[in-house]
Amino acid sequence: MAAILIHAAIPLTIILVYALVAIWGERKIAGFIQDRLGPMRVGGWHGWAQSIADLLKLIQKEDIIPTNASRFLFKFAPFMMFAASYAAFAVIPFSSAYIGSMINIGVFYLLAVTSILTLSVIMAGWASNNKWSLLGGMRSAAQMVSYEVPTIATVLTVVLVAGSLNLMTVTEMQAGNDTLGFLPNWLIFQNPFLIVAFIIFFISILAESHRVPFDLPESESELVGGYQTEYSGMRWAMFMLAEYADMLLLSLLGATLFFGGWNSPFGDFMGGPAWGFFWFMLKGLLLVFVMMWIRWTLPRYRVDQLMHICWNILIPLSFINLVLTALWEVIF
Amino acid sequence: MLTDFGYILLFIVTGAIFVGVALFVAKLVRPDRPNEIKLMTYECGEIPFGDARVQFNNRFYIIGLMFLIFEVEILLLFPWAVVFKEIGWFAFAAMFVFVFLIFIGFIYELGKGQLKWDIPKPRIPRYVEGVGVVDDDYREEKVNEPALQAD
Amino acid sequence: MGMLDKKYHDSNIIIVGLESALNWARKNSLWYEQFGLACCAIEMMATAASRYDFDRFGIIPRSSPRQADVMIVAGTVTMKMASRILRLYEQMSEPRYVISMGSCSNCGGPYWEHGYHVLKGVDKVVPVDVYVPGCPPRPEALLEGFLKLQEKITGETILEKKESEQE
Repeated sequence: MAAILIHAAIPLTIILVYALVAIWGERKIAGFIQDRLGPMRVGGWHGWAQSIADLLKLIQKEDIIPTNASRFLFKFAPFMMFAASYAAFAVIPFSSAYIGSMINIGVFYLLAVTSILTLSVIMAGWASNNKWSLLGGMRSAAQMVSYEVPTIATVLTVVLVAGSLNLMTVTEMQAGNDTLGFLPNWLIFQNPFLIVAFIIFFISILAESHRVPFDLPESESELVGGYQTEYSGMRWAMFMLAEYADMLLLSLLGATLFFGGWNSPFGDFMGGPAWGFFWFMLKGLLLVFVMMWIRWTLPRYRVDQLMHICWNILIPLSFINLVLTALWEVIF
Repeated sequence: MLTDFGYILLFIVTGAIFVGVALFVAKLVRPDRPNEIKLMTYECGEIPFGDARVQFNNRFYIIGLMFLIFEVEILLLFPWAVVFKEIGWFAFAAMFVFVFLIFIGFIYELGKGQLKWDIPKPRIPRYVEGVGVVDDDYREEKVNEPALQAD
Repeated sequence: MGMLDKKYHDSNIIIVGLESALNWARKNSLWYEQFGLACCAIEMMATAASRYDFDRFGIIPRSSPRQADVMIVAGTVTMKMASRILRLYEQMSEPRYVISMGSCSNCGGPYWEHGYHVLKGVDKVVPVDVYVPGCPPRPEALLEGFLKLQEKITGETILEKKESEQE
């Protein structure tokens, strides 16, 4: 029993530690990109305790539920949002020794569960009965729903090359170091079209996890806080945590599908479960870092540009890419 | 021991329990002093007017429909992708026809401009010698002003 | 339904420890609400920008009052704006603080005598914690105001005042 509970709590610990580090790190990165310093005072060295202070403060913030809001949905939305994004971690192979659940439709399940996020966002927007929230929720739903198509299409491309839906199997087949004689056997090096697929995938996960340049649902300068406008204190913190968890989840999915998951880039050197976890998190956090880098570098798109990019460029491109990948796989 | 899907249920329950525990801890510490203004809907400091649940633009519905079509298509492609390498050319041909048919519809949709989000035309007044500043689009736009709709 | 806040009269070792931790967290994570009323807002923006860098103290802007801790009243408070400011203040979630920035919001400033449309000090509508003088105050002055606010938060308590101490 205890073993089972620990089994289910391992990703939770990872998410919590990651969220504390990532929020602090994001502010430091923002600082350095904007020629500032970022948090410096709290806790001593470079403000390392900043996110702990934020968390403790959010705990003591008052919780407001507006009179006009639908109370049940308003309270239920953060539960659903975090539970959905946490449930998706069940199929992520953190190392060769740990995976939450070995179901054989792993990727498929992950994509299905992350769709629930759209539902909880729109639920939060609707329940608040606030104009900003509703606009943010509707925009968010349109955006997430649209960008889900290229995301799934590129994942499909990888599944086609890998021939399995289980992420553990997908990772295991990327072991070794003999593509072109020296490159690791990662899927991105296996097929030239998968490089294109990765670029489409990365753009789509930026939009899926509401990162700049696609952060229209919560664009502060036009929609106050988007669907989170009416949420305060710990409820709001849960949304924030779920968003950061979602970011990590999609980055880890990218690392598994394209960059060999927990496989070491040096073949057997520095292999094993513990090093596997290290490599996996390194790859995932590197993608998270790129997302933060993009956030503080690029301006935001307009709604019509956002939809144009998705429907007119990414979706046709991802399907053409799928057909070309299939052709390549048949020929070679 | 749990089955594979049992573990998934366990994960969902763990996520929900974590949120519950976090909110409970906050409930112990936080103050709770509601008043009428505090519980009012936030509308940038103004008194809120009307209900927020307004009619929405049709575009969202069309996007929902398109999403549904593509999702169902991709759903059908997943089993195909898993066994693709074992079947080879036949699988490729079958899928190609399938994707091609969907794409004809998609291109038709794009051509009809259903997926275009029309944006308000920027109004640029121009200067006419002897007349002054003329705003060409002003009158025209007043006539064709669309019904009030939320974006 | 807070179980700690203003529920106890007497202090003990647990409450003191908890209190200092909570005060530490509150003072180090002052998120201010993003709005400006007049020219002081320009100085406020400058304080948040690269050279003066609010973020060093963990101070970041939040656009929704529900998630904000401190309201910087930056600029002239007109009579019309006063009711909005009161409403925005009330809509912030507790614990909340107010910094009055600049002479206009401190006392009416240059409109003190003949400004028929200006509120003579924002403290007539909302309780102010720190007054920052200046017209407009330099960014350093605003930062100093924040440091003063942090000092003030350090001395706060979650205890209820005893009967004898209440008026």
